[in-house]
Amino acid sequence: MSARNPGTKLDLEWISKVRVNTHAILKRAQHIQGQKIPKKQWQAAWLLKAVTCIDLTTLAGDDTPSNVHRLCLKAIQPIRSDLLKEMDMHNKGVTTGAVCVYPSRVADAVKSLKAANSSLPVASVATGFPAGQTPLETRLQEVRLAVADGASEIDIVINRTLAITGRWEAMYDEIRQFREACGDAHMKTILAIGELGTFTNVYKASLVAMMAGSDFIKTSTGKESVNATYPVAIVMVRAIRDYFLCTGHKVGFKPAGGIRTAQESLVWLILIKEELGNDWLCPLLFRLGASSLLADIERQIYHHVTGQYADYHELPMA
Amino acid sequence: MAGSTNKTVHDIFQSMEYGPAATSSTATAQAWLEHHSRSLGLFIDGKFVRPADRQSRSLADSKGGHVCSTVCAVEDDVSQCASSAVNGHKAWVNLSCHQRAKVLLRLVSVLGQHGPCVSELCELCDAACSPSTLVRLLQYYSSWAQLRDTLITNWTPLGVVAVVVSDDCSLYSLMIKVLPALAMGNAVIVVPGLSTAPPALLLAQLFVAAGLPPGALNVLTGSDLSLGAKVAQNSSISYVTYSGNKQDGVMLCKATAGMGVSVSVSPYIGARCPFIIFESADIDSAVDAVIETAFKKKREVLWVLCVQESVQDSVVARLRLRMVGMKCVGLHSDGDRVLVDAAVQDAQQQGATLVQSCAAPPSGAQYPPTVLCGAAPSSPFVVSPSPGPLLPLMTFRSNTEAVTLGNHSPHGQAASIWTEDLTLALETAKSLSVGSVWVNSHSVSDPCLPVSGHKDSGTCTDGGQEGLYQFLRPSSSSPPLPRSSPVSLNYSKFGTAASPAIIPDDSDSASAPKPYLQFVGGKACKSVSGCSVAVQSPGGGSVLAYCPDGDRKDVRNAVEAAVKVQPGWMKKSPSARAQSLYSLAKGLEAKRRDLCGSISVQTGLSSDEVDEEVELSIARLNDWAAYCDKVQGGTPPLPQSGCALSLPEALGVVGVVLPDKNPLLAMVTLLGAAIGNGNAVIMVPSQKYPLPALAFIQVLQASDLPAGLVNVITGSRDQLTVALANHSVIKAIWYWGSAEGCQYLQHTCTSPLKVLRLSCQKKDGGKEWNQSHPSLLEEMWRNAVQWKSVWIPTA
Repeated sequence: MSARNPGTKLDLEWISKVRVNTHAILKRAQHIQGQKIPKKQWQAAWLLKAVTCIDLTTLAGDDTPSNVHRLCLKAIQPIRSDLLKEMDMHNKGVTTGAVCVYPSRVADAVKSLKAANSSLPVASVATGFPAGQTPLETRLQEVRLAVADGASEIDIVINRTLAITGRWEAMYDEIRQFREACGDAHMKTILAIGELGTFTNVYKASLVAMMAGSDFIKTSTGKESVNATYPVAIVMVRAIRDYFLCTGHKVGFKPAGGIRTAQESLVWLILIKEELGNDWLCPLLFRLGASSLLADIERQIYHHVTGQYADYHELPMA
Repeated sequence: MAGSTNKTVHDIFQSMEYGPAATSSTATAQAWLEHHSRSLGLFIDGKFVRPADRQSRSLADSKGGHVCSTVCAVEDDVSQCASSAVNGHKAWVNLSCHQRAKVLLRLVSVLGQHGPCVSELCELCDAACSPSTLVRLLQYYSSWAQLRDTLITNWTPLGVVAVVVSDDCSLYSLMIKVLPALAMGNAVIVVPGLSTAPPALLLAQLFVAAGLPPGALNVLTGSDLSLGAKVAQNSSISYVTYSGNKQDGVMLCKATAGMGVSVSVSPYIGARCPFIIFESADIDSAVDAVIETAFKKKREVLWVLCVQESVQDSVVARLRLRMVGMKCVGLHSDGDRVLVDAAVQDAQQQGATLVQSCAAPPSGAQYPPTVLCGAAPSSPFVVSPSPGPLLPLMTFRSNTEAVTLGNHSPHGQAASIWTEDLTLALETAKSLSVGSVWVNSHSVSDPCLPVSGHKDSGTCTDGGQEGLYQFLRPSSSSPPLPRSSPVSLNYSKFGTAASPAIIPDDSDSASAPKPYLQFVGGKACKSVSGCSVAVQSPGGGSVLAYCPDGDRKDVRNAVEAAVKVQPGWMKKSPSARAQSLYSLAKGLEAKRRDLCGSISVQTGLSSDEVDEEVELSIARLNDWAAYCDKVQGGTPPLPQSGCALSLPEALGVVGVVLPDKNPLLAMVTLLGAAIGNGNAVIMVPSQKYPLPALAFIQVLQASDLPAGLVNVITGSRDQLTVALANHSVIKAIWYWGSAEGCQYLQHTCTSPLKVLRLSCQKKDGGKEWNQSHPSLLEEMWRNAVQWKSVWIPTA
């Protein structure tokens, strides 16, 4: 396991040199979407890989210990075990990447997983999710509390006001403080790309987030009007590549919001493979934030194994 | 790949490899081929013809399997095909514009039914062209067919046009010549290459199904390009246009020299094109484009990567990262592999470093994509590129150096430039001497974008409205060249005969012939050799004057002077050029009497006729002055979002060999067309009637035209024609003269290519210089410009 990204000093000159050509990015996205997706056992293997990268998420006002418990148990056995056995994958530790909940539900999730003897990480959104429009002090406190409750991954949201107005120094300082508050917990920084305006701003915000020591950068909260799109993902993963080339540190990428079908999850994997290479195709560096995606993937795998299309009730619910 | 199907899910889960590429079905195309017993005939007069006792040529697919065989046509087939085409043309040209447009549109729906067959056949034959591309071509040209008489008035189709392509030419490049020719009302004889033959035959068959009259589109297949020359030889052919590689194009030019048919070529394959990445570029996207375009198996253009020094490391680092895992590219033969190995070894010995996707396999006809960093314009692998997926990378310091580096090549096909700085992009696009500039993009082609190779990359424009004119001529003109058979001409001896020495009989000192001076670099001067030739009176007999006997050294001096001032002249605003032409007309008016005198002495015409010629000459210069700022490009509407520009640009230095007829009017007409559009000229007055041109020198001297922009050199026409033909700086030659002269120029002006406008002088007839029909003037300014298209995509 490689070392975490320690971050760097804020390099404003680097940020000022960023150039992004919107048309070329869109064309690249089209090209990636047009790639032939893997078939047969290749498809099954890729879908299982996608499963291991899912942050199985519930972020609703009516979350209670009981539905969080169901979510946790689904996360540790995401695919019906008889299906896995058919592919000889039953003993290969196929679980989702993590479960992702609100800070108040962290304790419930940790409890459920502990009871099931699982070491699956619990991720928590924090820092005034989703808008981030609360005072810095309470946002920091939120992070600390979630970590204290046992969350080992924290999804923070950036202060869009600072990003849109180009106050990169202030944004860098804030994220630095979040990172400190996270301690050993991994930090995923949500850029809320739907609200940043231009691709150039997305690229710059990505760089600042990585310089400030993010372990992951994440597209969106799932609560904005524009969520994870392929073009914006290309911009972000190119920033990751840029950062890797300059510092040698690998930062992870997490698209979230609106990813619902198995087909889409394959395109995401192709995008990462094409732009960043195989190194990034693991839960350590790639996560898919999703709630309903898993059900569709499980149906596809059911079809691969049995040749039949499953009804939803044939597969265990989350 | 037998083992790969045994891969377990877990193996793949670990390696995350892509599965084997799915092989697409080619069943429909195979069925069509089977229907023809895998042996395709010629397509003449609306049906397949299979003459007996012909040789055949076999086409193999990419894996070496037999696809089909085609017939090698012989002379009999050519003449049968030509007479069918003549009838086809009659039927086709007599339809209304609307009816022709409807046929093209109907082919769109026919393609809709047979789309899979066409695309599968293209794929089998390795001549990829998607049905959507064909549909776009058809829709674009059907609207031109519809609007021909509305928007292009007073132009008429040429008749039967031959479209000849080399074996490596793509189907798109073939169709971008065939469809405009048909849309304008010509009949077309297609001589396809090996890989384009089956799709061309299928399309011809579908065209007939769409209602094209039999004979309007015939397809002749042959063993090699010599069939193209055989077709050109047929006297019913009015025009030959070629697309493909340079060698075959040159061969066709030489083989057709002297046939009295004009031939233009678009040798777009194998052109060296700069791919320029500025520091202000989106470097990731630029590198992405390099990966996409530079390492294809079927390379049409040879990219040279030019990177600004400040971002070289960043570009190379990204290339290195992106190239990891790219598969080896297949070469055409084991022989190619030897060449690639030699080129790479050479490069490494000269200190080039390699960026490779993987180590080269020890042998076999494949090679990994390779970037050769540290290339220089003098590196052997840049000067004479080897086959294979090799990409030279050079660095430049400043924006101007990027342009210099990009322009320093015999080719002028295309360039791709990457910058987010709009001003820099437009300045660079304007300064590059190439036909297509793609800003932040590459290899974009659409029928509405004119493609016109500059320098050694072509002598005609394809695509756009600009590309239609190669298939039209002004209604009021006659074909400039009479059909003839090539004579046996000793090309090395042409123009070397000594001019006859004429010594005047009577030595009456009072009427001693006046010695005239020629005009080189803005100065009236004698010829370099110091010799002069006698100018005789119209009846023969007496000597009127002596004029300098110019030769290649005079041409050389004139070109030196012209090439110095031409770029500055071209950069001047069109209205400034207009003012210079207006003042030239005024100067001519002031010297009216001198000019009238010289014309009447020289030609013996009546004073009314002489007055009229001078009057028309003044008017003509005014015409051209007025045209200067009216000749403009356009903004072609591409289906994608972005901004396209089509810009007319000067050719450079033009050599003009003037006709005998209307010596002054012809001179100012051609001079005005040339310099009004930003060219410099070297004019050779009629050998028979040089005096009016020489008298015009005083007008030129008094004008404010930059010294060297217009040069006038007298002497033996043939000798000066040879001198013009053998100077590479001269980009075009407009020639009036003998059939031998035309043949000489067609044969000689191939390396580098020159744009030739040839007219064979007849006793009477020929161009009516005193006509000022708009389409005649339009034809002349279209001859004086070349087109550049610039494409700037936006989101």
